[in-house]
Amino acid sequence: MTYQLYRNTTLGNTLQESLDELIQFQQISPNLALRVLLQFDRAINTALANKVRTRINFKASKLNTYRFCDNVWTFLMSDVEFKEVQDFAQVDKLKIVACDGRGKAADAC
Amino acid sequence: MDHMLPSPGFSIPSIGTPLAHTGEEEMILPSAQQQQQQQSAQQQQAQQQGQQQITTQQQTYSSGFTPHSLMQPHTPSMLSPAVGGGSQVGAAMFGSATGPSTPAGGPMTPMTPHSNDPGIVPQLQNIVSTVNLNCKLDLKKIALHARNAEYNPKRFAAVIMRIREPRTTALIFSSGKMVCTGAKSEDDSRLAARKYARIVQKLGFPAKFLEFKIQNMVGSCDVKFPIRLEGLVLTHSQFSSYEPELFPGLIYRMVKPRIVLLIFVSGKVVLTGAKVRSQIYEAFDNIYPILKSFKKQ
Repeated sequence: MTYQLYRNTTLGNTLQESLDELIQFQQISPNLALRVLLQFDRAINTALANKVRTRINFKASKLNTYRFCDNVWTFLMSDVEFKEVQDFAQVDKLKIVACDGRGKAADAC
Repeated sequence: MDHMLPSPGFSIPSIGTPLAHTGEEEMILPSAQQQQQQQSAQQQQAQQQGQQQITTQQQTYSSGFTPHSLMQPHTPSMLSPAVGGGSQVGAAMFGSATGPSTPAGGPMTPMTPHSNDPGIVPQLQNIVSTVNLNCKLDLKKIALHARNAEYNPKRFAAVIMRIREPRTTALIFSSGKMVCTGAKSEDDSRLAARKYARIVQKLGFPAKFLEFKIQNMVGSCDVKFPIRLEGLVLTHSQFSSYEPELFPGLIYRMVKPRIVLLIFVSGKVVLTGAKVRSQIYEAFDNIYPILKSFKKQ
C-alpha cells in the first residue's frame, strides 16, 4: 500500500494543478487524473526508497509537540538546523509528518 | 574521646566532655532507654557485660566500629519475623555500641534518643497515582487533538500523554481511568493528574476527578559508606535476597513498614512500595543502623 503522503509536496501539488487544468479543458477524464495520481504515489515511493542515497542531518533546539496516531508521527520543532556535509539551512519552525517505512500500512491521507 | 567526632545529625548543643553535662545525659537516657527497651529488652540485658567493656573503649559510631564481642549473640535465631525484626537486631547491635540505653551510666557519650540519627533524608524520585475521570473516552480523538500524545492500539490500549510542568507521563484508558507517573512529590502528582483531566475536559469529554490515590512512592538516598551485602544477607536471610549474578543489589523486604529496599554495595539505597512519605522515612530510619553495622572497613 503506497502512501498518498507525497501528494502534498511541490512536485505533487504541481502535478495535481496540471491535472486539474487538463480536466477543466476537458482533455482528460477525472478518472484518468485519479489513476495518474495513484501512479505518481507508486513512482515517488519507489524512487525515494531505492534511488535516493544522500543523507542529511538535522538538529532542533526544541521539540514543541509530538503526536503518534494511526501509525503516523507528527513533530513540531522550532529553531532547526539542517546539515549536509558543508551545506547549512536554518529554519524557525518545522513540521515533520512521518509514515512507517517498512511493513504494510494503510493509506495515510 | 568521643567529643572529637560529632555525631551526625546530633542536635544537642553541648555535647562535650561526658562528665560536664550529666544533667543532659539524664534527660536523654530515660527516653532512649524506653525506646530501646521496647525494641530489644532481652538482648540488652544479655549484652550489658559487653557494654561495660565497650563504654571504656573509644566509641566512634560514626566510623561504624563494631566491637566484635557484640557480634556473638547475633545469631539468626534471634531474628523474629514479626514487627521490627530487622530493626530489633540492628538496635541491639548498635544500641549497645552507642550506649544511650545503658542504665549503668559510666563515661558514655550522650547520644541522640533515636539510636542513629543519620541526618540523611531519602529523596522522593517517583510517584505513581491513579484517578478515575468517570466517563468513556474516545482515545483516537484524544490522540489526534491533544499535544504530546501517542496512541498505538496495536501495541497498548491507552493514550500516552506527557506534560512538561510537572514533568509527568499519563496513561489514559478508554474506560476513563488514568495513571499518572513521574512526579517527584504528592502535590505534584495530584496537580499533574488535574492538568491531564483538564486537557481531556477541554477536548469535550465530561471528565471528573474521582478517587485520586497515590499507589506507589519511590525514594532513594546514599548512606555514604560501602556495605557488606554478603554479611547482610547472612544475618537477615528472612528479609533479604541477594543474587549478584542476577542483580547487583540486595533486595530487602521490610515487614514494618511494608517497604522493599534495594541496597547496593556503594551505599546507595532505593526504597519503594510506599503509599505515604512517612513509610519511606520510617523504612530508612529502620535500615540505617543495620547498614551501619555492615559497613565495609
